[in-house]
Amino acid sequence: MPLKSIYRAPWFVKAVFVISFFLIFFVAGVTYKNMSDLSDSSDLVTEKYEVAIELEQILSYLKDAETGQRGFVIIKDSTYLEPYFSGRENINNSLAELKELIKDEPEQGQNLIELNFLIDNCLANLEQVQRFILKEQNNINSPAFEPLFARGKKIMDQIRAKIKVMLDVQNKKLEINQKEYENNLKVTPIFLYLLMLLSLLLLIGAYFKIISNLKKLEASNQALELFKESANQSEIVSKHGNWTWNIEKDTFSFSDNLYRLLGEEPHSFAPTIANFMKFVHPEDLEKLSAQVEEMKENENLPFIYYRVIHKNGTIKHLKAYGKVVVSGENRRNLLGTTTDITDEIESFRALEKRNLELERNNKELSAFNHVASHDLQEPLRKIQTFLSRLEDKEEDNLSESGLKYMSRIKNAATRMRLLIDDLLQFSRTNKADKVFEVSNINLLLEGAKQDLAEVIARENATINADAFPVINVIPFQIQQLFANLIGNSLKYKSEDRTPEINITYEMVKTESEKLLTNATADSYHKIEFKDNGIGFDNEYAERIFVLFNRLHNKDEYTGTGIGLSICKKIIENHQGFIFANGETGVGATFTIYIPVV
Amino acid sequence: MNEDYIHIVLADDDEDDRLFFTDAFEELKITTKVQTYNDGVYLMDYLNSEDAILPNVLFLDLNMPRKNGMECLKEIKANEKFADIAIAIYSTSASEEDIENTFIHGANIYIKKPDNFKKLKKALSEVVTINWQYHTSGLNKDNFLLRL
Repeated sequence: MPLKSIYRAPWFVKAVFVISFFLIFFVAGVTYKNMSDLSDSSDLVTEKYEVAIELEQILSYLKDAETGQRGFVIIKDSTYLEPYFSGRENINNSLAELKELIKDEPEQGQNLIELNFLIDNCLANLEQVQRFILKEQNNINSPAFEPLFARGKKIMDQIRAKIKVMLDVQNKKLEINQKEYENNLKVTPIFLYLLMLLSLLLLIGAYFKIISNLKKLEASNQALELFKESANQSEIVSKHGNWTWNIEKDTFSFSDNLYRLLGEEPHSFAPTIANFMKFVHPEDLEKLSAQVEEMKENENLPFIYYRVIHKNGTIKHLKAYGKVVVSGENRRNLLGTTTDITDEIESFRALEKRNLELERNNKELSAFNHVASHDLQEPLRKIQTFLSRLEDKEEDNLSESGLKYMSRIKNAATRMRLLIDDLLQFSRTNKADKVFEVSNINLLLEGAKQDLAEVIARENATINADAFPVINVIPFQIQQLFANLIGNSLKYKSEDRTPEINITYEMVKTESEKLLTNATADSYHKIEFKDNGIGFDNEYAERIFVLFNRLHNKDEYTGTGIGLSICKKIIENHQGFIFANGETGVGATFTIYIPVV
Repeated sequence: MNEDYIHIVLADDDEDDRLFFTDAFEELKITTKVQTYNDGVYLMDYLNSEDAILPNVLFLDLNMPRKNGMECLKEIKANEKFADIAIAIYSTSASEEDIENTFIHGANIYIKKPDNFKKLKKALSEVVTINWQYHTSGLNKDNFLLRL
């Protein structure tokens, strides 16, 4: 599409105008030349006719003179000689006229000289005839007269011949000129017409191009208008303002919203640095002035933070960024953006405050948990020790109900001990100093089984496990997790069958796991503990992980409701997930996901 | 070293615990001489006194006012004079941190105060009858905590 690309080129209109200008100039030149040719050739025609007329006139004067002379010869009345006398003068006038007409043509000039000579001869001859008549008394029969007369006729014939020659020359010249002119006339009009047509076409093209450019300009003007409006809006919404600083001229322009950031109406004061500085917080003034000076020198600067005070006393935090843009002949403009970050700073401060509070709360809670469980242990231990001494020494002295009460007290103390131990473990799981190590998970599982060896043996439980890869974990916590889950399964075993726990391992992609809805990693280590115990109603699948939450009465199953909370805590420490799924009377499945790193 | 009895010293601020401790040794059929002190300051004053008879086994509670068990342990271990005393930590807590710290600072055994008088007697009798020479040479973090 070379034509189209030429049409679309930005220089198209300019080129068309230059070409058209030259075309029209050329056409005008050619036309002028043609016109002048035409006038030349009509001059030539006129000249030819004038020459012919003069020549005819000369001939006619000569004839008149000759005729008059003949009359004189016959009638012998001298009045007949009148044309001869006037003829002489008239012929001379005509000759002068002719000479003027053909002064540029040497050939005709020569002919004219010859003609002149012949005319002189002719007139001389006529004069001789007259003299002869007067001298010989009209003796026209004299032998001397006849040759004179004959000579007159001969000269006349020669004059006629010469005039014909001259007319021929003139005609011929006219003919050539005519032919040339006709030739020119045949070609040039078509050529000129085509040229005019071409430049017309070009101009039409340029016209459409200009129209379409205008339309585009209008469209982009509208778009620009829209953009300006949306920029305005976005400045207002995002609380920022723009400014331009022409460094050479030291002039500023502020966007509307920059005024608003200062709590003023747009363009309510002249945009100068002095006026702007009036709003700056006194404590920030010095620093900002220094940074503004620095802006002029450096191409790129870090963000500048400062405060401004509105007229109503409100303090706003602003953040500014400037960049030097060099355009044209070293015109340096500093383009800047200023943003109101008061909300940001306030919410950041609020967040910081709340974070600190939260941290303090957490610390307090953790300390409380630790201290409580530690300090609670001491009196409890003493209660238990005294109870054991009472049992040893005073058992025989107690009544039956006394013994029953003592047994109850012992149970209560044992349960409290369990609670305190579990709480202590839970608070330990909370501790921040978790060290991740690339660990052999198979060994950790073995460790957990050893911790529970007694129970496993007692329940005659079967534990099947896949082989695990090494995983980056907090080893003692994972062993704890395994022990808690196995312990849980053994505790809630079914009375009808020997406990069996199947532990499976699989590495999975996040997208293929329905349970992982807000996972951050791409793939996970998935470990599943499936038992054949009493299971639970899935309604409680989430509640069982909540601290102190129990599904069973403590008379049926001992327990504190902390074990699974510890599991959840451990898995959260590993940025993983734990899910429970149960079916009453069939069994429970615990699924653990640990991110692959 | 007196051959007739084993000299035992306990530093513990808790009156009940001191009572359990002395009662337990009274019931045990071992010839011992038990002395108790109410905190670390009293203990160190005694040990540093001119006429002090240094104990064979020293039981140290960790959590005591004025001067705690840990400070006592460091002072004793820093002094050549006390090199022969076997030190048993005797505490309510059995936190990893406490066990690790006392082990590093040279205690010989760690006893978590039992919640049963029979267990207490058993623990104390085991500790005082240990062949310390043998125990100390094969000491490691695993057998440091006395298991009952």
